[in-house]
Amino acid sequence: MAAPQDDSDDGMDEFMEKFKTTTYKNAFSKDNWEEEFDKIPMFMKKAPEEIDSQSYPELACLQAMIHDEDAPPEEQAANLKDEGNEFFKEKNYKKAILSYTAGLNKKCGDQNINTVLLTNRAAAHFHLGNMRSALKDAAAAKKIKPDHLKALIRGAQSCIELRSFAEGVQWCDEGLKVHPTDKKLQELRATADKHKRAAERDTRKAKIREKKLHGEKEALLAAITDRGIKLFQTSKPRHRESDGEEESSSAALSQLSLDCLSSQEATGARVFLDEQHILHWPVLFLYPEHQQTDFISAFCENDCFVNHLALMFGEELPPWDADRKYHPQNLQLYFEDEVKDTLYQVKPETLLLKVLQHKRFFVKAGSPSFIVVVKGSPFWEQFSTGKKIRGL
Amino acid sequence: MLSDFEAAELLSFLTPEARPDVKGHTTSYILGLSGNRDGCRFLRTKPDIITALFALTSDPSIAIAKDCYFTLINLSADETLHQVLLTDIKVLQVMMKKVLDPEFVFSDQICSILSNLTRHLKTCKIMFKVLQEDVGVAKLVEIFCAESFNKKAKFHHLGPLLSNLTQLPEARSFMMDKDRCVIQRLFSYTQYQASVVRRGGVVGTLRNCCFDHAHHEWLLSDDVDILPFLMLPLAGPEELTEKENDGLPVDLQYLPEDKKREEDPDIRKMLLETLLLLTATKAGRDIFEKKSVYPIMREFHKWETDVHVTAACEKLVEVLIGDEPEPGMENLLEVDIPEEVEEKLTKADAREQEELEKEQERMKQEEEEEKKKRSDTEGSEKEQEAGLIR
Repeated sequence: MAAPQDDSDDGMDEFMEKFKTTTYKNAFSKDNWEEEFDKIPMFMKKAPEEIDSQSYPELACLQAMIHDEDAPPEEQAANLKDEGNEFFKEKNYKKAILSYTAGLNKKCGDQNINTVLLTNRAAAHFHLGNMRSALKDAAAAKKIKPDHLKALIRGAQSCIELRSFAEGVQWCDEGLKVHPTDKKLQELRATADKHKRAAERDTRKAKIREKKLHGEKEALLAAITDRGIKLFQTSKPRHRESDGEEESSSAALSQLSLDCLSSQEATGARVFLDEQHILHWPVLFLYPEHQQTDFISAFCENDCFVNHLALMFGEELPPWDADRKYHPQNLQLYFEDEVKDTLYQVKPETLLLKVLQHKRFFVKAGSPSFIVVVKGSPFWEQFSTGKKIRGL
Repeated sequence: MLSDFEAAELLSFLTPEARPDVKGHTTSYILGLSGNRDGCRFLRTKPDIITALFALTSDPSIAIAKDCYFTLINLSADETLHQVLLTDIKVLQVMMKKVLDPEFVFSDQICSILSNLTRHLKTCKIMFKVLQEDVGVAKLVEIFCAESFNKKAKFHHLGPLLSNLTQLPEARSFMMDKDRCVIQRLFSYTQYQASVVRRGGVVGTLRNCCFDHAHHEWLLSDDVDILPFLMLPLAGPEELTEKENDGLPVDLQYLPEDKKREEDPDIRKMLLETLLLLTATKAGRDIFEKKSVYPIMREFHKWETDVHVTAACEKLVEVLIGDEPEPGMENLLEVDIPEEVEEKLTKADAREQEELEKEQERMKQEEEEEKKKRSDTEGSEKEQEAGLIR
């Protein structure tokens, strides 16, 4: 600026005169001045996603200054830290992490900056839910500066989120050594400790429950074994069958898990032992003549078949019994010994337990099954051909 | 005892420059002296020897240093020696600071000495001041609670040390500082299996702290939560119903079947006394009620055999299941007891003690008779056997 030595304002007057005649250059356009306004770095409300030197020349210039490769690493790192912090404030945690990482990659010698970069990156990870990364960064920060309060707090918080409560207490204790009166650390310690003890209780409770269930399972299996009831193993046996015989009760049962007792029925009903130590079985009635089945979910072992047949066929005959033949007094019950191709007849007055204890009876898939036919029917004649028929 | 001449001779052998074998024999001899009361009392009259012992704790020979430390432990166990041991505080200050060194090999011995020196109130006051200034009780608690601060030392005797210190209100204030986390760190050690000294010290500390009823609400609050840690050593493996379990504090729920109770009856008694102290205020009693710890005490009472401990248990249960006292008497520690009543209570206490002791005697006698009977029958059985063989 030419400053006239005299006191006159001549230069100024001349300058002012110009405004009246010439328009100034580089004015905002009338129509989209707001858009142009937003492009000026100083007035931007939000940083654009991409900064290219064509649309945002000034911004690109500023960026270049921040990422000036010629500046000393400490300065670069500090700039990147500030950049990261800005992103953090906008809750743009992913970008913040990128900036902090770039700052750390400068490997500048200033440990204070590095500690802050790590701690802030830990915070960004924390807010993104990356607890492991947050913990890792907090630990790295703690390694450089063991008394860095923010790192200690962040580490403890991350441990708690990761449900690593004992570790969380440790972080707090370490922190309280250097900052004994810090409220946040004390609060975190109490929280971590409380959760730790609750988790320990949960483990104890689960253990006891498991033991109880195991005990119940054992009692059930024992009840079945004691009665001499044999379970048929549907899955591959873990040991070879001896002498080609079916599994002998004791050896097989000791190998059997309760998987063999799971019924294939959709109801998932299973044999159970009640408080009076009575067994109740899920039982299948098969009607091969009509390809039908009936399922009784809990047939008490001390019950007889008559009662169940009366219930099922006494009042109303089933819809599939087109010929109206299946009256209780006409029905015959059998169980099949597939290996020996024998049908054993079961008198309806027999108790379930007695049948189950028969030496040729094997409970398949946890559900005893019985064949029901009409006495003397043509179907029966056909069905029983070639099979041996025996009484119990 | 030794003559003055002999004592002077001993002293001459206790200089750092003395011949190592002579030095060694002397320290060994003095350690022997300190092992009995007369020897201790004799050494009390020879402060120069004691000073020399302190100096020789830094002797390059580990054996000599060790003898000196153990001698000092013995001496400090005798109250009459405290005065002379504290004459030169500076020496103690130097010794105390060694505890902070994670490589120091005699840290445990120092802890024993410090623990002994804090047992009685007068010296305790002096020791506390010195400890706070030079080491800081906070640091001691930190070392006590650190798993492996020093590979050569266990620091169990810091337990009784803290217990002794908490005789003093200033020490209790420090332990229960709400702005710090001090007393909370000790809680888990009420179940520390590996050392009865540590356990006893911690429980003693907690009991002393509970004399300050102003802190009860804070101690029982969820943030601090002292209650479970006092009850865990008393809880056993007996199975409780799910309802009872769910009513208990978390740490007492679903305890495994291998849970063991505190095996030292004195510690059990201290725990019960601490719990009883905590029931002194209405606020405390309310919290106890909310936490339904009665099932634990019920099972404990069934299990306990020691008469004194059972008595303490019954006192606690009485409060737990009893009615609220009338207004004006809510804080049982602050109630004014009229003189005659106090007299009667003291007499009743004395009678109770007598009865308890008689009970104990009777039980002992019964046990011995049982033993005799058994050995008698064994004897006669043996005779019979022998007879048969013959």
